[in-house]
Amino acid sequence: MKKKLLAVILSAAMTAALLAGCGSSAQDTPGTSAGDEGGASADSGEVQEITWMFWDDLNATEDLISKGYAETVERFNADYEGQYHVTVITTNLEEYYPKLNALVASGETPDVFIVSPGPNLTDYVEPGVAAPLDDYLADGWKDTFTSDAVFSQMTYDGKIYAVPLNIAAACAFYNTEMFEAAGVEVPTTWDEMLDACQKLQDAGYTPISISAGTAWCLSMVAGYLCEMEGVDLAALEDGSASWEDGKVESAAAKLVELSQYFQKTAAGDTNDVATANFYNEEAAILIQGSWAIAQINGSNPDFESKCGVFQFPGVERVIAKSDSLAMSSSTKYPEACVAFMKYFTDDTAQKYTAEIGGKIPVTSVEYDASAAPAQLAYVMDVFGGAKGTFGFYNESMPSTEAGAYFDDQMVAVFLGDMTPAEAATEMETFYTDNCR
Amino acid sequence: MKDKTRSTLIKTLIYVFLTLVAVIYIVPLLWVFMVSFKTNAEIFASPFSLPESFNLENYEFAWTAGKLGIATLNSFIVCGVTLVFSMLIGSMAAFAIGRLRFRFAKQSMMFFMLGMMIPVHCVMIPLFTRFARLGLSNSLLGIILPYLTFSLPTTIFIMTGFFQSMPNELIESACIDGASIYEIFFKIALPLSRTGLFVTGLMTFVANWNELLLAMVFISDDAKKTLPVSLSKFVGPYNTNYSQMFAAIIIAIIPTVVVYCIFSNQIVDGLTAGAVKG
Amino acid sequence: MDKLLRDKKAIFIFLAPALILFTVVLFIPICQSVYYSFCEYKGLTAPKFIGLTNYKNLLKDKSMVFALKNSLFFLVFSCISQLIMGLFLAALLTNIKKGRNLFKNIIYLPCVLSSTALGLLWMFIFSPKLGINQALEKFGIEGPLWLMDTSGFIILPMWIIAFVALWQYVGQSMMLYMAQISGISTSLYEASYIDGCNRAKSFIHITLPLIKPMVATAMSLNAIGALKFFDLIFNMTEGGPNHRTEVLATHLYTQGFKYNKYGYASAIGVVLIVLCLVVTGLINKFIKTENYEM
Repeated sequence: MKKKLLAVILSAAMTAALLAGCGSSAQDTPGTSAGDEGGASADSGEVQEITWMFWDDLNATEDLISKGYAETVERFNADYEGQYHVTVITTNLEEYYPKLNALVASGETPDVFIVSPGPNLTDYVEPGVAAPLDDYLADGWKDTFTSDAVFSQMTYDGKIYAVPLNIAAACAFYNTEMFEAAGVEVPTTWDEMLDACQKLQDAGYTPISISAGTAWCLSMVAGYLCEMEGVDLAALEDGSASWEDGKVESAAAKLVELSQYFQKTAAGDTNDVATANFYNEEAAILIQGSWAIAQINGSNPDFESKCGVFQFPGVERVIAKSDSLAMSSSTKYPEACVAFMKYFTDDTAQKYTAEIGGKIPVTSVEYDASAAPAQLAYVMDVFGGAKGTFGFYNESMPSTEAGAYFDDQMVAVFLGDMTPAEAATEMETFYTDNCR
Repeated sequence: MKDKTRSTLIKTLIYVFLTLVAVIYIVPLLWVFMVSFKTNAEIFASPFSLPESFNLENYEFAWTAGKLGIATLNSFIVCGVTLVFSMLIGSMAAFAIGRLRFRFAKQSMMFFMLGMMIPVHCVMIPLFTRFARLGLSNSLLGIILPYLTFSLPTTIFIMTGFFQSMPNELIESACIDGASIYEIFFKIALPLSRTGLFVTGLMTFVANWNELLLAMVFISDDAKKTLPVSLSKFVGPYNTNYSQMFAAIIIAIIPTVVVYCIFSNQIVDGLTAGAVKG
Repeated sequence: MDKLLRDKKAIFIFLAPALILFTVVLFIPICQSVYYSFCEYKGLTAPKFIGLTNYKNLLKDKSMVFALKNSLFFLVFSCISQLIMGLFLAALLTNIKKGRNLFKNIIYLPCVLSSTALGLLWMFIFSPKLGINQALEKFGIEGPLWLMDTSGFIILPMWIIAFVALWQYVGQSMMLYMAQISGISTSLYEASYIDGCNRAKSFIHITLPLIKPMVATAMSLNAIGALKFFDLIFNMTEGGPNHRTEVLATHLYTQGFKYNKYGYASAIGVVLIVLCLVVTGLINKFIKTENYEM
């Protein structure tokens, strides 16, 4: 009997202790642990261990940019041996944010982490997880960048919270041989674009390869069409403009018009398949981010010489996207973190970005244009000729959900599940309910 | 005579049907095997043709770059430990619920059943924050505990059924022989429910072997990653490295198939033992 | 005997390890989750209590309607199809001798493979550019958009996924039924043959009633598995196009982990758990598990 009593008391006590732990856990959230900053970095002689979290495996990857990052990490660890050391935590992109959030929630925020500008970065800036970097940028680091404009998507209330590593621009890649054979010039206006597609189709080619299975690919084109119609996202967000003012409707209508030139299987093709269609010369035009260059040239090296690039017709700005690094506000070793981040924007890394990675460097580094993929020069021309940049539509909206909602509506319009007007109404309803 | 031709006809029909079913099962899996020898460009150009050459490059790359060796070892440790403990702890609880007599048997069963209904996504964040505070994040023990707990409901559920359908006389006669309740459990009940143990053991092992999300979130250290996490290394941010991923999938499948063969033979033995018993 | 089975200390020792693990690893986190379902909680800042707002929003959520509808469809489909196919295959296999293990192993094989890998495989097969449509084209048939078609009450992709799920998991039900069938004493069958029953009749009159408890078990497992169903959908369609193939678990994942709305996701989780409870309750009520002595 005694034993039994003891057992009951023991288990009751255990449960109580656990429940108590449960109650308190809700209180301590990130940011509060920022207090112990700096103190530990004073003791010299110790190697300062920092972590960097990234969304691709550095060994198994085929992505050239990721491979470049792997080199950067090695360089940093070799150069600062005995002083700083960085360990990389990798996941794949799908599980990246869940894992990062779990780490943040448990107070184990990685010291440096990669993040997409836009609503994703906002998620970490608002609760104070990401640290402002202005003080560290002020020592001349900032001047190495091509312009202050590269920071525009990472600036909140005048403070910079992340550093861009490279820029990718969304362009129209085209098969020069098919264009020649069909007697088509590079289009510069919307009408010319439709005309060119028609001619390509008449000549027996599939004009455009696109993926609606991967929603953001289709949405990228939709973003350009919205830009063409003069949609103002900021005004939509603060409520001074309405989604139902006809602009989005006509952009969506244009998407439907353009869709008659898509490959037959566009609705189900994933991003990989759509890109493969293009480099396997089954379609004449591919509208993609410039990260696709490495994939195209890697899969079909003979294609590099036939591949041209033009700016999406009828718009003056280009869609640009950058990978960027943020620093945890609770890091013990901010100096080590900054030193590490600087390695991503130094000349060696930026040269690699252009020459091998095929992305646009963020600093004014001199690189060997002949070593870089041929398409990069064209992309640079497009980028330089544009009157400015704007973000991916799904990354320029107030929340990730809003962006995904936009993508979904565009796919629905393309599939014929929804009319352009209905899509505009859906967006307006969503914004009224969630974003304003 | 007429009866006999009829029964042969039925037998033939059964075999034809089963062969058809088998084809539906085998062909897609063979396809994965074929794809694992191709290059990415080949996959997109002609997905259904035979690979141009049966070279093992994909496998080599997957094995070294994906660090699949250490991942396989980790998976074995995690799944093995989970398997043993879930079978032991689970059947103990099942025995109590199915055979012992106490007032809250039904309620305890409901409580355990609840565990089966909880989606892992729901508890992940609270669990992770708690484990991180206990220093269990980034350790194999940190995923063994949740795996074990998530395996228990199914084990308990199925084993309870087995214990309940066990003949009363056996326990009664053991009682008369003066066996303690622990002896009855370990020496009579467990061996007799071997089939059930193997079925649940297999289910547990397989479920944990393939679990991705929890392992991905809980383990950061490359040397502690399990197989499914390592497989996901081949999915890049903008494009997926299909050929090597399928090679890695094949590598990851082999141990489960081996384990399955071991268990399935045991299940067969258990089945025949059951038949003899009757 | 009775005293032995009522030994409180033994009961405690048998139950305690499982109970403790359960409480710590599952029950407490799920309580926290239930609390979050009444909060606005983004995971990165402290949860803020907002009462029933999340639940009210659930009622307005269009994707939630799709998710509920698809989950219920899935539930019904998999319970019925797994029962019929599982029993059918089990009956066939227990009636043949040659090749029984071979066929059993083949059918069970997908159960031991990762559904992530299988999801990818089937996505490939049903993708318009790479998959069976290419084969169909050779016969002059234009295949449908298997995973993107959105017409009809239950859309085509859901049927596809449901059949793939049946393909993958029927081995499990089959195995459970086989285990139970082989436990039935052969003397019962022999007696029935003497009484003039043929095989089909003895299946209906002896096998079915005797495996009833296992039917309840297997069906409850199916039902819960169907309601929690995630992997295949996530890998084949990710809930798309436009959330039309969303089920409760994928909706939960999207809201919680893609959009960082943990509070809202927790509310979906609560709905999911309640649904599981109701369904298993119903199954166990309708398939009464009387214990036959075997």
